Amino acid sequence: MASTGQQTASLKRRDSLVTREGDQLIITPLGAGNEVGRSCVYMSYKGKTVLFDCGIHPAYSGMAALPYFDEIDPSTIDVLLVTHFHLDHAASLPYFLEKTTFKGRVFMTHATKAIYKLLLSDYVKVSKVSVEDMLFDEQDILRSMDKIEVIDFHQTLEVNGIRFWCYTAGHVLGAAMFMVDIAGVRVLYTGDYSREEDRHLRAAELPQFSPDICIIESTYGVQLHQPRHIREKRFTDVIHSTVAQGGRVLIPAYALGRAQELLLILDEYWSNHPELHNIPIYYASPLAKRCMAVYQTYINAMNEKIRNQFANSNPFDFKHISPLKSIDNFGDVGPSVVMASPGGLQSGLSRQLFDKWCSDKRNACVIPGYVVEGTLAKTIINEPKEVTLMNGLTAPLNMQVHYISFSAHADYAQTSTFLKELMPPNILLVHGAANEMGRLKQKLISLFADRNTKIITPKNCQSVEMYFNSDKMAKTIGKLAEKTPEVGENVSGLLVKKGFSYQILAPDDLHIFSQLSTANVTQRITIPYSGAFGVIKHRLKQIYESVESSTDEESGIPTLRVHDRVTVKQESENHISLHWTADPISDMVSDSIVALVLNASREMPKVVVESEPVVDEAEEEKKAGKIIHALLVSIFGDVKFGENGKLVINVDGKVAQLDKQSGEVESANEGLKERVKTAFRRIQDAVRPIPPSAS
Amino acid sequence: MGTSVQVTPLCGVYNEDPLSYLVSIDGFNLLIDCGWNDHFDTSILHPLSRVATTIDAVLLSHLDTLHLGALPYAMKHLGLSAPVYATEPVFRLGLLTMYDHYLSRKQISEFDLFTLDDIDSAFQNITRLTYSQNYHMTGKGEGIVIAPHVAGHLLGGTVWKITKDGEDVIYAVDFNHRKERHLNGTVLESFVRPAVLITDAYNSLNNQPSRRQRDQEFLDAVMKTLRADGKVLLPVDTAGRILELILILEQYWAQHHLTYPIFFLTYVSSSTIDYAKSFLEWMSDSIAKSFEHTRDNAFLLKHVTLLINKSELDNVPDGPKIVLASMASLEAGFSHDIFVEWAADAKNLVLFTERGQFATLARMLQSDPPPKAVKVTMSKRVPLVGEELIAYEEEQNRMKKEEALKATLIKEEESKATIKAELPVGDAMVIDAGTTHTSSDAAVMHGDAYRDILIDGFVPPSSSAAPMFPFYDKSSEWDDFGEIINPDDYVIKDEDMDQAFMPVGGDIDAKFDEGSASLMLDTTPSKVVSSELTVQVKCSLIYMDFEGRSDGRSIKSILAHVAPLKLVLVHGSAEATEHLKQHCVKHVCPHIFAPQIEETIDVTSDLCAYKVQLSEKLMSNVLFKKLGDYEIAWVDAEVGKTESDMLSLLPLSNPAPAHKSVLVGDIKMADFKQFLASKGVQVEFAGGALRCGEYVTLRKVGDASQKGGAAAIQQIVIEGPLSEEYYKIREYLYSQFYSL
Repeated sequence: MASTGQQTASLKRRDSLVTREGDQLIITPLGAGNEVGRSCVYMSYKGKTVLFDCGIHPAYSGMAALPYFDEIDPSTIDVLLVTHFHLDHAASLPYFLEKTTFKGRVFMTHATKAIYKLLLSDYVKVSKVSVEDMLFDEQDILRSMDKIEVIDFHQTLEVNGIRFWCYTAGHVLGAAMFMVDIAGVRVLYTGDYSREEDRHLRAAELPQFSPDICIIESTYGVQLHQPRHIREKRFTDVIHSTVAQGGRVLIPAYALGRAQELLLILDEYWSNHPELHNIPIYYASPLAKRCMAVYQTYINAMNEKIRNQFANSNPFDFKHISPLKSIDNFGDVGPSVVMASPGGLQSGLSRQLFDKWCSDKRNACVIPGYVVEGTLAKTIINEPKEVTLMNGLTAPLNMQVHYISFSAHADYAQTSTFLKELMPPNILLVHGAANEMGRLKQKLISLFADRNTKIITPKNCQSVEMYFNSDKMAKTIGKLAEKTPEVGENVSGLLVKKGFSYQILAPDDLHIFSQLSTANVTQRITIPYSGAFGVIKHRLKQIYESVESSTDEESGIPTLRVHDRVTVKQESENHISLHWTADPISDMVSDSIVALVLNASREMPKVVVESEPVVDEAEEEKKAGKIIHALLVSIFGDVKFGENGKLVINVDGKVAQLDKQSGEVESANEGLKERVKTAFRRIQDAVRPIPPSAS
Repeated sequence: MGTSVQVTPLCGVYNEDPLSYLVSIDGFNLLIDCGWNDHFDTSILHPLSRVATTIDAVLLSHLDTLHLGALPYAMKHLGLSAPVYATEPVFRLGLLTMYDHYLSRKQISEFDLFTLDDIDSAFQNITRLTYSQNYHMTGKGEGIVIAPHVAGHLLGGTVWKITKDGEDVIYAVDFNHRKERHLNGTVLESFVRPAVLITDAYNSLNNQPSRRQRDQEFLDAVMKTLRADGKVLLPVDTAGRILELILILEQYWAQHHLTYPIFFLTYVSSSTIDYAKSFLEWMSDSIAKSFEHTRDNAFLLKHVTLLINKSELDNVPDGPKIVLASMASLEAGFSHDIFVEWAADAKNLVLFTERGQFATLARMLQSDPPPKAVKVTMSKRVPLVGEELIAYEEEQNRMKKEEALKATLIKEEESKATIKAELPVGDAMVIDAGTTHTSSDAAVMHGDAYRDILIDGFVPPSSSAAPMFPFYDKSSEWDDFGEIINPDDYVIKDEDMDQAFMPVGGDIDAKFDEGSASLMLDTTPSKVVSSELTVQVKCSLIYMDFEGRSDGRSIKSILAHVAPLKLVLVHGSAEATEHLKQHCVKHVCPHIFAPQIEETIDVTSDLCAYKVQLSEKLMSNVLFKKLGDYEIAWVDAEVGKTESDMLSLLPLSNPAPAHKSVLVGDIKMADFKQFLASKGVQVEFAGGALRCGEYVTLRKVGDASQKGGAAAIQQIVIEGPLSEEYYKIREYLYSQFYSL
């Protein structure tokens, strides 16, 4: 029973609103739809447009790595929100800001912005593509920095009627989840998030309000993470045993984000194991070194534990880890632990070391996080017998490959509890491989089976359309609201809309409740007239119903007040003046008075005979007929005189006959008949004199 | 009816006393600011003490004592227990400010109004918010939303916006509209037409020179003294305006490669700067930008040396130097001692950067002409020696004995009470714990080392359970497989790891300067020795306004722009308050209140309001006209009810009655003049009216001095003889408005 009831309700909602385009909410993933990488989600509602994230696909290069920007018109986007600094969330930003017609505003958190610049500058330097394939250069990044605005966690901003704020997302330093509120419809975009607190980051917050739509990452699908301490133990055990046997450990990792967490783990482990002190740990990333200042500054974005440590010493000042500039400075004698980027082993130092070490079975490669489809790191997880080296040769893969995920993405347990507590009626899955996403969808459907929750997994460029019945509420304030009206009463006043809020108020109150103001224009015009004032009074009385005469209190000169709108005053022998407050009707009345006065002075001193103009009915009728015909021709084109004074109207082969006297129309086509009828009625209204009763 | 709003000042009206105001919104009592002066005068807190227990929430706006100083005392002694809201910098630096005050006071007096623990516990309950964060109150305050906004003046300084049912109450004191080195200007001007604005009149009579000129004068004065081999003392606050001064000096030193040493001396100076480094999010755009681009933290100080102990300063070789030391009032703290030392040398300079609080040494020295000599009390904490020490110890012993006796009595009571019950061994241990604080004669000698576990003088309790030392059987049990163990003891737990990773100490104590910590933890018996002496003031004294508050003129123009429906004036001398009141009555709004202490004023808006739903049918027929941010239309509607019993507006069933037309728009005569000129009409101003062409004149009547939104309906008069020109100009005039 209940479910059917709900369904009809939703159907009804749809029907009544389907025509109103403004209520349609569209979400289109331009990237990260059924894939991981190039996150970019487009959303539009009520003419407001938001773009979430602007990443590249790490497995592709050049234009192919971009999200499908050509699906949208960048100039229409009001706000672009970037959740965190990872390349797959932020790296197409310089391109989008500098090379497209985008002219909206961009927001990210302080820490994200600071690292964004460093990370992308590094990306430009490292990526070895030809100049034509370069999406942007260093200059573009610098220019984009000037356009990026910052937002602090929980800070609520409003741009163009779009309200938005962000929550801590865990994942990496400065990572945010954005909540967007357009006309009361809330959309939460989680970006990459993690609900587990680690060594330096806070867990993702649970938003205070439930969103109407939750766009959530599904990287890990239905997988479950091992508890953190077990993962950490596996990680340190693998490394410990490898170096104890004289092997080398390669940890390919993104330069920033998880790497800092791993370094914290390693540094602490080394501190607790003095026997390892002669085994060097290298961190091959000048970038990470440069970012350290950022990590040391934005401690307010980290958790309490690490902030307390800052009090004593800087936990990011590692005691057992030394930086490594390039492979040329690397002696490679004896066992060592090297953490190097990129995480996917596509190129760069991590790949160079991999090529060097992969055939020795004493060595180990620990893959510490999620790896993107299409990269070498993903390939070696399945432990193939052979791998292709960078120089094109193949080599046996003898080194041990361990996959211990430290990537701070939510697993199924986190995702499901998060969604259970949040209870969004619509869930959109993005940022996950198609099969993982599919499994997650199935599991979520069964989880929310009793709740009519919609779970959608759109592909790239596949639009999701939803309709929201947003009741427009207005607040009636001020004088208009002195009494709350009963049903059936009338309310009239100014409807003022700002953003998505409405107010109804009396014109007098406008300046109190808004920055707008109203004006009264008083007009005073003097007309030369040397006749008797009485004449004017007499004539006005003939035209207007209400003419009150009185005398001006100050000067004692006679005045006339016409319809309580216009005051006529005899200023002197030769002038009379008119004054009135401007509005369309008063202006018209005054114009007629002016004409009358001018007429009177011209015709002076003739006495006007008050004779009704003799109207020749037939003549009038003929004239009217002509006008009607002319007007109909201008509307319908082909209009001919038919029999019995009827007009024959021919539109696209459809014929209508109009009886000018009765106004009746005969036509086989209903539509045409109605239109002709309406047109004729309006023409009649215009042509015929206004019947006296109408006033 | 609108939301009921009452304001009751508890302190700081018609004078420059600390700020503390009670704002009650629909019965929800908000205490905004909880200030105290540098004298820690309990008498000014009497009004607060009467209402402290009824308060539901506390909002803090700035980090100095004037705005939050009484919080620990009120929490401890006045029964204030409401949740507190503040920004992160106000929380962190406010805490340091309180520490600094406490330690400075403790050094020169038997300060017992509150302790460091009281400060900690008062601050522990602060909920930290970020700028523009809308925080929704729950429980009794349901429906109230509070949001801090940038105030300028001090780091993290807040203009509070309290919203209920769409009506805004704004509390903005000590704001600064000017952008400074480390702070952005206030956003107060972006709030227009709030229902109530509470603001201060503190600076309404002051006008400031431009920032550039003032900075130059400041640096000139400092350099002159240094070049003449003099020393410069800047009495400053602990963590507020000092940041701006440090930046000014740092920049100047860097630009001119100066080598004169600069010292920043407070009990918490290093923590202050450490926190400042991590508060870039709260600072000006330029600081944030320079960090994003070059990763140079502006508070990575190269020329300023941080000191937390005056002895370190004494070790510095004599010679020209700058010392920034707290307190700004010169009443206590390092600045007081340094002033006494340096005042007699004519080469030296004492530069005040803020107005001293009333009846403080700083205020006295700022008077014109400055006093030739001042009486000061030099107080010093010295360890007890000889007879005094013995006397102290005896006193301590006596007190301990008394305590012990009391404890025994209580214990006996307890024992009596439980005597009937079974007396397990554990009870004896409880007794021991109860008497832990008693002490033997010997233990008291070693202040920090004593662990007095002796029980009181062998008074056998009347109960049967004799007191004994706790005794644990250490022998372990064995079975066939060896010692019996509990496997749970060996499981590695998550928490254990975290703990191993976490340093000792809680959040607050960890960030403490070693020096001050040792001082406060030092339990060596000591006393305060005071001596009165007269200091000849020969050094130069200069006062320059670096308070970072908007000056009188700006305040007036900001108020006119904000144009609140009701304005409440607080904090400022009687003269300043009266001045601003007179000004605002004329130029801002007619409803101005300047209540006395404990006078409750009702600023409930006389607004009536009700909500209606706008039906789709109605809206589809409404044509909006766009006017700046607004869209506006005339509606005629019939009231109906929705399914959920809400009022809703439906289109009229019969034709709409005619309504008086409304001209909407704001016309500025100067703008209109230009507009006409561009249309080829000869225009000029003559006698307050605009002469257009030969005959037509255009005038704005009514109060032309009122600005912006505060103006009522504009009255424009167009006059002229009947002519073509008249109609043309009228046409142009109409084009400036929307007629509805």
